Amino acid sequence: MPIIRFKTSGRVVELPDGGDAVNLLRVSIRHECGIPWRCASGNCGTDRVRVVEGAENFDKPRRRERERLGDLLDAGFRLACQSYVDGDCTVEWDPDQVGLDVDSKAYERLRRIWLSKEDSA
Amino acid sequence: MTELLSREEFRTALEKAMEGRQAKDASFSRAWAEGKLQRHHFARWAENHYHYVGPFADYLALIYARTPDDCTDAKDFLLQNMYEEEIADVRHTDLLIRFAEACGSSAERVMDPRNMTPMTRGLQSWCYAVAYREHFAVATAALVVGLESQVPSIYRKQYPVLIDPDVYGFTEEEAEFFDLHITSDEVHGERGYQIVLDHANTPELQQRCLEVVRDGADMRFAYTKALYDTYVKPDLGEWVEEPAAA
Ligand code: FES
Repeated sequence: MPIIRFKTSGRVVELPDGGDAVNLLRVSIRHECGIPWRCASGNCGTDRVRVVEGAENFDKPRRRERERLGDLLDAGFRLACQSYVDGDCTVEWDPDQVGLDVDSKAYERLRRIWLSKEDSA
Repeated sequence: MTELLSREEFRTALEKAMEGRQAKDASFSRAWAEGKLQRHHFARWAENHYHYVGPFADYLALIYARTPDDCTDAKDFLLQNMYEEEIADVRHTDLLIRFAEACGSSAERVMDPRNMTPMTRGLQSWCYAVAYREHFAVATAALVVGLESQVPSIYRKQYPVLIDPDVYGFTEEEAEFFDLHITSDEVHGERGYQIVLDHANTPELQQRCLEVVRDGADMRFAYTKALYDTYVKPDLGEWVEEPAAA
């Protein structure tokens, strides 16, 4: 029975044997395990976790995750919203972490939409 | 008289309500996953799909307007879902048009409502009707649990073959619409479940949720099957499932 350990919150979730791989952020939300998140689409990086054990049970990172995490990927980080897991693993995070997207094109575009000239002056 | 189901019983019943009716098992989805489609079939798919998912924020806005203002969690969920469809990142329909263009269609063709099948028009109308007429928990069950939460399981089968150079050979950029929805709809689906479990708090509301989830799964199945019958059957004939390899 695959077990996901959320080290920072102390939560442990057991998954049924033989099921499909599960999305890590979905499991965290469903079982109230506490990974912070914002966009759920690989854009903001708020939900990055360090994989303490079981990295081999994660699927391969796809484009959005590779682009958002860059070097952090090699340092053992994954984005919970982009990750599918099919075996035991342990993850941790900084409960106060914020997004990595302040320099992104999407963030810049939103600033343009929301802030008038006077507001941002 | 039906009893109020516990949270766990109700969740299991919602999951069961979709069994055997999942769009990933419809002929168009099966032919897609098995590498049998051609680019012009995908172009017709995109020209239909736009009219089902394009107004998703409109459906949600109708539900939002009818959700009581003390149900802040539900209102915030709907608002965030709308925001993510439209402006949080690339507009989701722009990604769909990008895929359609890679298949030889165009933005004009995709946005032209004359290019949808009657079944697509039926699915779109059902989404509007449910959003407009049903209790907000029931409408969320129909559109988010019944329809949106199916998306990751569909696209997780369909995306890898799209970008496989030996199968369909699209680039990751051309197929970004699918990659994005694999993950964002996991979270939308999960939060949708929570809203439904929290707010469908009478036996009648629970039963109505189960009915519309069944209806939604049937509608999406029929929509997907109609795509095969209209656009693919003339080329490939009746869909016949190949026996699984031993
Ligand atoms: S929640 Fe934003 S990248 Fe995962």
